[in-house]
Amino acid sequence: MIRDSQLFQPFNDEPISLIGETGAWEGPFDLDLDPAALRGMYHDLVVGRLMDERLSRLQRQGKVSFVAPSAGHEGAQVGLAHALERGRDWLFPYYRDTSLLLAFGLPQVEMLAQAMATRADPNRGRQMPSHNGSKDLNIFTIASPIASHVAPAVGAAISMKVQGTGQVAVASFGEGATSEGDFHAALNFAGAQGAPVVFFCENNRYAISVDYNHQTGADSIAAKAHAYGMPGYTVDGMDVLASYYVMREVIERVRNGLGPVLVETLVYRFGPHSSADDDSRYRPREEVEAWKRRDPLLRFRRFLEKQGLWDDAAEAHLRAEVEASLQAATAEAEAAGPIPVEWMFDDVFAQRLPHLEEQRHDLLD
Amino acid sequence: MTVQTMVQTIARTLDQEMARDERVVVLGQDVGKRGGVFLATEKLFDTYGPDRVIDSPLSEAAIIGAALGMAVHGLRPVAEIQFSDYVFPGFDQLVSQVAKLRYRSGGQFEAPLVVRMPAGGGVKGGHHHSQSPEAHFVHTAGLKVVYPSTPSDTRGLLRTAIRDDDPVVFMEPKRLYRAVKEDVPDDPEFALPYAQAAVRREGDDVVLISYGASMAETLKAGDALAEQGVSAHVLDLRSLMPWDTTAVLEAVARIGRVVLVSEAPRTGGFVSEIAATIAEEALDQLLAPPVRVTGFDTPYPYAQDREYLPGPNRILKAVKRVLEY
Ligand SMILES: Cc1ncc(C[n+]2csc(CCOP(=O)(O)OP(=O)(O)O)c2C)c(N)n1
Ligand SMILES: [Mg+2]
Repeated sequence: MIRDSQLFQPFNDEPISLIGETGAWEGPFDLDLDPAALRGMYHDLVVGRLMDERLSRLQRQGKVSFVAPSAGHEGAQVGLAHALERGRDWLFPYYRDTSLLLAFGLPQVEMLAQAMATRADPNRGRQMPSHNGSKDLNIFTIASPIASHVAPAVGAAISMKVQGTGQVAVASFGEGATSEGDFHAALNFAGAQGAPVVFFCENNRYAISVDYNHQTGADSIAAKAHAYGMPGYTVDGMDVLASYYVMREVIERVRNGLGPVLVETLVYRFGPHSSADDDSRYRPREEVEAWKRRDPLLRFRRFLEKQGLWDDAAEAHLRAEVEASLQAATAEAEAAGPIPVEWMFDDVFAQRLPHLEEQRHDLLD
Repeated sequence: MTVQTMVQTIARTLDQEMARDERVVVLGQDVGKRGGVFLATEKLFDTYGPDRVIDSPLSEAAIIGAALGMAVHGLRPVAEIQFSDYVFPGFDQLVSQVAKLRYRSGGQFEAPLVVRMPAGGGVKGGHHHSQSPEAHFVHTAGLKVVYPSTPSDTRGLLRTAIRDDDPVVFMEPKRLYRAVKEDVPDDPEFALPYAQAAVRREGDDVVLISYGASMAETLKAGDALAEQGVSAHVLDLRSLMPWDTTAVLEAVARIGRVVLVSEAPRTGGFVSEIAATIAEEALDQLLAPPVRVTGFDTPYPYAQDREYLPGPNRILKAVKRVLEY
């Protein structure tokens, strides 16, 4: 059932964008967010960026083994987070969602503790960095295998529908993920069930080194929605307000039982795929530089300045405040201490089975 | 001879085979310009271009399934799965299609393809970059399974695999990719047979058997034992399907004490198959029960990356047990 929504039309050729590069509001409707909400979005963009920088620094210092840099994705992610109901809706994220997780309420200390594998990680050091999760916050713990979390998001959404909870599930992923069979199986099931789920694609045009044109012959990722009977939108992901307003409308529609939606946000990763990657092998520097000039933080800051809501002093104050908070969170995460060896044997099953008891004993002996 | 790491050897062996036989093509994620995330296909794209070095979409099912289609239509594909942990979205193709094609077509069709995949832990990659799934493949009739531990063996066995008319799962110990350099034979016809274990150390007191990534720890244990005056006979299986029962049974018959080392999870692991074969074929020559030193029956953990692996200390403990039995 593909129905047009109110403000935005699906299967749009031009990406939906509301703020121009100069920071001017270009939306076809009146902005209805108060200054606090707008400043809150900027706050979350800056937190995401500074966390990203911090994780890379910790990686270079040897305190974190791996990072998946997310700079360039913040606009799309923060827009989504602000459109969701925290504590009610569910997120099925992927490894490049630093800003999304933090803006959705993941405590900074938990992200840092997960990255450094200390006792303050609620996932108990089981996974490599950039693989957070929190049952308390309805954040499904991230798994590395690409697209493996999309069908689970659909299942959660079917449960939400069956139980009539009015919740929404969101699965986020890169454009590379849309090539996996699991992605298509999941969208098809969601379409058939009219499940309250949003598929949120962060299309940064590369899956490691494989560029968009080697990933798919389709003109857009959003176009794939058509075949599954759901609307697909293409959004300028460097524009936090475009992401926010599209997601707000989409989520309302999904919450009202009108079925799933696929949203493609056009973003760019400013850094390498991961700390283990050398992107100069496959991305021309001019391309990277051109996208950096479209930085979502810069664009939103210009917007706030034009609205008279921001200036250099506010910027300096915010950055100092966020750095201090990240510094404190880092110290707290580190102080929790390393994960004990014997934790390895817990949580395989609800109870530790005898053979695992024996193996634990053998190792600790 | 050229001094090479294992990962360099892989790229250059592919190069040699592609130069020799234009039916050989490479496909997988990032194998093109990037040269593979580990650089195991480095420079091939520049030499052979996009028709023979194919950057695939992010789908293991498509990679393995398409490799099969290429193979039945006359090419000799070498598919790369970026980490063995990511073979599972392509598992159906591998198990249901690739492995059984010859059999279910009564021998009309064959699947001369290689699926390469880095495996094993110790790289701080958590469970989805560390697993050792060889038992799944060995348990699937129709797949050959190779798991070398040295650059030279990698060259010789990869060549054999590419020229094989059967499908081969070629596992590569990623933590040994750059761990050692050695002289690798340049001869473009240098090839090694399957099912021929290598003797890595001659000895009389205990047999240590391993393969792939765990060979490094097994050899360290062999060195440590030598310092203690215990002489270990160390076998590197190199291929698991088929595997060298002869070398194993001969060594066991001669020495009577055996320790089997593998970092794959304990239950249902390949070394259990070796232990069962020894029990069936050589029980009366055993002086002690065979002992397995393996990974644990937990998902591969992140924080305990090193502790999970059967390191020299755990191997030495097992040796002590079989010696004192
Ligand atoms: C099933 C599977 N295959 C391969 C990989 C290795 N891998 C990790 S990230 C990645 C690229 C993902 O690209 P995309 O979905 O576009 O997300 P991005 O990293 O660009 O944000 C690949 C191939 C994996 N994690 N899982
Ligand atoms: Mg991408």
